[in-house]
Amino acid sequence: MSDTILNAHIPDGPLEGKWQNYLDTCKLVNPNNKRKHTILVVGTGLAGASAAASLAELGYNVKAFCIQDSARRAHSIAAQGGINAAKNYHDDGDSVWRLFYDTVKGGDYRAREANVYRLAQISNNIIDQCVAQGVPFAREYGGLLSNRSFGGAQVSRTFYARGQTGQQLLLGAYQALEKMVDAGKVEMLPRQEMLDLVVVDGKARGIITRNLVTGEYERHVGDAVLLCTGGYGNVFYLSTNAKNSNVTAAWRCYKRGAFFANPCYTQIHPTCIPVSGDYQSKLTLMSESLRNDGRVWVPKSGDDKRPPAQIPEADRDYYLERKYPSFGNLVPRDVASRNAKSVVDEGRGVGETGVAVYLDFADAINRLGKDTIEARYGNLFDMYMRITGENPYEVPMRIYPAVHYTMGGLWVDYNLMSTVPGLFVLGEANFSDHGANRLGASALMQGLSDGYFVISHTLGNYIANNSFPEVNESNEAFAAVENDASSRINKLLAIKGEKTVLEFHRELGKIMWDKVGMSRNKEGLQSAIQEIQKLRSEFWQNLRVPGEPNSYNKNLEFAGRVADFLELGELMAIDALKREESCGGHFREEYQTEEGEALRNDDEFSYVAAWAHSGDDSSPNLHKEPLEFDRVKLTQRSYK
Amino acid sequence: MKLHLKVWRQNGPHEEGKLVPYQVEANPHMSFLEMMDVLNEQLIKAGEDPVEFDHDCREGICGSCNMVINGVPHGPLKGTATCQLHMRHYKDGDTVVVEPWRAEAFPVIRDLVVDRAAFDRIIAAGGYVSVDTGSAPDANAIPIEKNKAEMAFDYATCIGCGACVAACPNASASLFTASKIAHLSLLPQGNAERKTRVLRMVEQMEKEGFGDCSNHGACEAACPKEIPIDAIAIMRREYVKAALS
Amino acid sequence: MESQSRVTTALTSQVGRKILTGVTGVLLVFFVIGHLLGNLQLLDPDPNLFNSYGKKLHDFGLLLYIVEVALALLILIHAVIGISIFAKKLKARKGGYKGVGVKEGGMGKQSLASRTMIITGVVLLIFLVVHILQFRFGPAADMMIDGEKALDLHGLVMSTFANIWWVLFYVGVMLLIGFHLRHGIWSMLQSLGMMKPRWSKGIHGAALVIGLLLAVGFLLLPVIIYLRQA
Repeated sequence: MSDTILNAHIPDGPLEGKWQNYLDTCKLVNPNNKRKHTILVVGTGLAGASAAASLAELGYNVKAFCIQDSARRAHSIAAQGGINAAKNYHDDGDSVWRLFYDTVKGGDYRAREANVYRLAQISNNIIDQCVAQGVPFAREYGGLLSNRSFGGAQVSRTFYARGQTGQQLLLGAYQALEKMVDAGKVEMLPRQEMLDLVVVDGKARGIITRNLVTGEYERHVGDAVLLCTGGYGNVFYLSTNAKNSNVTAAWRCYKRGAFFANPCYTQIHPTCIPVSGDYQSKLTLMSESLRNDGRVWVPKSGDDKRPPAQIPEADRDYYLERKYPSFGNLVPRDVASRNAKSVVDEGRGVGETGVAVYLDFADAINRLGKDTIEARYGNLFDMYMRITGENPYEVPMRIYPAVHYTMGGLWVDYNLMSTVPGLFVLGEANFSDHGANRLGASALMQGLSDGYFVISHTLGNYIANNSFPEVNESNEAFAAVENDASSRINKLLAIKGEKTVLEFHRELGKIMWDKVGMSRNKEGLQSAIQEIQKLRSEFWQNLRVPGEPNSYNKNLEFAGRVADFLELGELMAIDALKREESCGGHFREEYQTEEGEALRNDDEFSYVAAWAHSGDDSSPNLHKEPLEFDRVKLTQRSYK
Repeated sequence: MKLHLKVWRQNGPHEEGKLVPYQVEANPHMSFLEMMDVLNEQLIKAGEDPVEFDHDCREGICGSCNMVINGVPHGPLKGTATCQLHMRHYKDGDTVVVEPWRAEAFPVIRDLVVDRAAFDRIIAAGGYVSVDTGSAPDANAIPIEKNKAEMAFDYATCIGCGACVAACPNASASLFTASKIAHLSLLPQGNAERKTRVLRMVEQMEKEGFGDCSNHGACEAACPKEIPIDAIAIMRREYVKAALS
Repeated sequence: MESQSRVTTALTSQVGRKILTGVTGVLLVFFVIGHLLGNLQLLDPDPNLFNSYGKKLHDFGLLLYIVEVALALLILIHAVIGISIFAKKLKARKGGYKGVGVKEGGMGKQSLASRTMIITGVVLLIFLVVHILQFRFGPAADMMIDGEKALDLHGLVMSTFANIWWVLFYVGVMLLIGFHLRHGIWSMLQSLGMMKPRWSKGIHGAALVIGLLLAVGFLLLPVIIYLRQA
């Protein structure tokens, strides 16, 4: 294993002035020259759509790709709760510093300080931009914007649009994107899946896509590639991610030289609707904002099988309020999730399966009235009712943690550029801002910060500093990479085995959830690696993919994605094994405090683990980016 | 429970399709799409091609799923997309007919998958506020009456699924188009472009080959977000104002 | 010139067409109400009451012709747009739904009335031709009222509605008018963008009542006249 120290290219100067310093000194591209450059943007979620729109507004030619039938369907649309910003409109003591500090602390001190500070600075511009686009945020009677509080913060800094904030923000970005389509500056290519990255003379210069309608391979040339392809939570099979969310584009870039950072950092969201059976295809999240008014509890005794309403207060254990009196039900996600798991492991879980805890609104309804609760969470309650057939106004919700977000992703420097020059990675697909745990309402903030406000400057700097010799589709590099992509597809179809993609995916998911999930240990991780390797070899011998390569064939798409998950899963386990500490979403059972909290080891593991591909048959190489904290003092996180 | 399905199968845009009968064993807690997953696993095991259908978030917000179930877009449950419809609403022995959206502007790609790019082009014709990144004033600079903001939100919840078109006897896209116009026309931010927006979007809607609105109101009944056809009344008022000035 | 073409574009657009249908519809409803009120005079046993009303109208001379041509235009515009909307509908969903029991007609504010506008509309158009030939250009005898020459329209109506077949024909068509208005009145208000969310239900109900009243008012005429003569 080599141990290269990665350079994040963080600008000089004090933390507060780094971004301004960057903006003052980065190179600019002349407006007339911007139109000579084509930028390929893969993915049209918050990061992708906002980046594509902003770059097109600046004058670049943009080609935007998405796997769905429309840019508007990207999974950002499903984000419910809200978006953080340090506006301090309520004078409750918020500031850029506090947002920055909460985010670094919430991430258990495993994020890059300079990136997080920039994110907090930009947060306010995002709200301005979105309001100007006509995003209908919640408002007070006076007509000004309303806020709510979210886990991990003691101020109200979360802007929201009922329980559909992600939808409204994404539609804002999507509309901005369509505006540039109309202006002729963006060419939108839906139903296209990026299958590989084309690197020419050491720079990312294009991608190979598969047209998901015709099955044809397409070559697209550009001067930079922006990967905005989201997270890889679907490696667990069951997650709150949309069915099409996948790691393929990022994984192929990893194989072309981009480093994969902190793959083991996955976020388990504490408030999801519990699994009800084997056929289950995905999990549904209930916004964390519910914890503002809902109280989490289980019976004090595991033998107590009475219906919830018949369990008197004295026999209930409001375990979060008991253990964390100052944050109560609003502890960060990782803490809430782990505590749910531990009460279930103690045998105190509720519901038919016993794998759930109550989230109870009875007190809030008594205090505020049903109407207020309905106004705040009506759509979430409706959704719960539709899925479970139970009425949460009358009986407590049953919730359980589920995989929700992946903090890890392709390694990027301060410019959001990966280790492949010209390949930029934005949003959930990169690793940079959330450390080992993301706070609620920060994903939307990061996606839009990267897309609207960061990439336009850092991409310009890259374009201005480099030369781009003419490359076209007939370049041999394109032919070679297309050949790799098509032979992979043909190989999948040629196996003609017995087991379906879904069966393999489900098996992989079980291994991941049991052994690389909410809590991990050395033994489990080692056996997970072996089991994944075994499953992967079975996959390539016994997979059955129906249909043809040259038509719409969703099973074939999924087969390619599961093939990549089968490789990623192993890397996640390797990373989790290597990180002999507990931090944020990565909980190693061997490393915990006496009270069962995550125990970091800052002396040995205060670094970003960036893994480099070294061939299909050899172990990946670890490169480290040491994390240096100039302004934040590392402490044991406490939410008591 | 055992269900008798009749599912639309069509290999490509220009090929003939037909309803094909299948039997599937379902469980009341399953979602409709999970029942379709079970059918597809069954088909793959039997060496047949699975039924293609669009789906993604499976929580009723992305707008991908589009099945006409026993003659009703998204099935019998009001305000619910196909993915959030659960099998507890069916009983053993039921016959369930599944078809794609039908409209010339939504050509079938394969089986239940249709091409809804026309919707994107309608939005591109003006369904936005032209504010370049970085040029926005402070978010609280313009207070907006709470009720107005709420009303705008009601129209903005459109998920672009196309059920309105599927339900409309005329295959009109008026509710989709009007929702965006209504959302933006209720907010001061949308004011500057309100005239060109409504004129261009209405023109584009017609160009795409959607039919006229005859005020049947089937769209609002099918809409998984329950957007009312008052949106269409707003669109018409906006249109008259724009055309007369 | 430019503004003219803009107006034309606006009027021929989907929204414009619907607004024109609504405007012409409103005017026609007003006409129908007036027509009914005038015709109720037929129920008076004194034939002169109705005939002198008819004479008054005729005495407008040129103005009457202008109104008649305007009415004809309204009907024409209303009908042409209605037929074109129907033609477009056929084009917008060529194959239709294939499933057994597809009930796209069962939802929302749809009713048999809303689904059959084209049929009731076309039948009404044919009826209008018959009706105008029968009474406007029909074989009414000359008569004198207060020493001036007039047409015995009252007599023409009486003799027509002595025939049970004509009575049945008119009753049938009047029911269709009610049907057409049941959807039409609601629809024209919605088309003209007059709807406020809170009114929607009320107007939809009111349309049913108004449609019913007009239909009953009209069909009572031939029925009563027939029964009196029988």
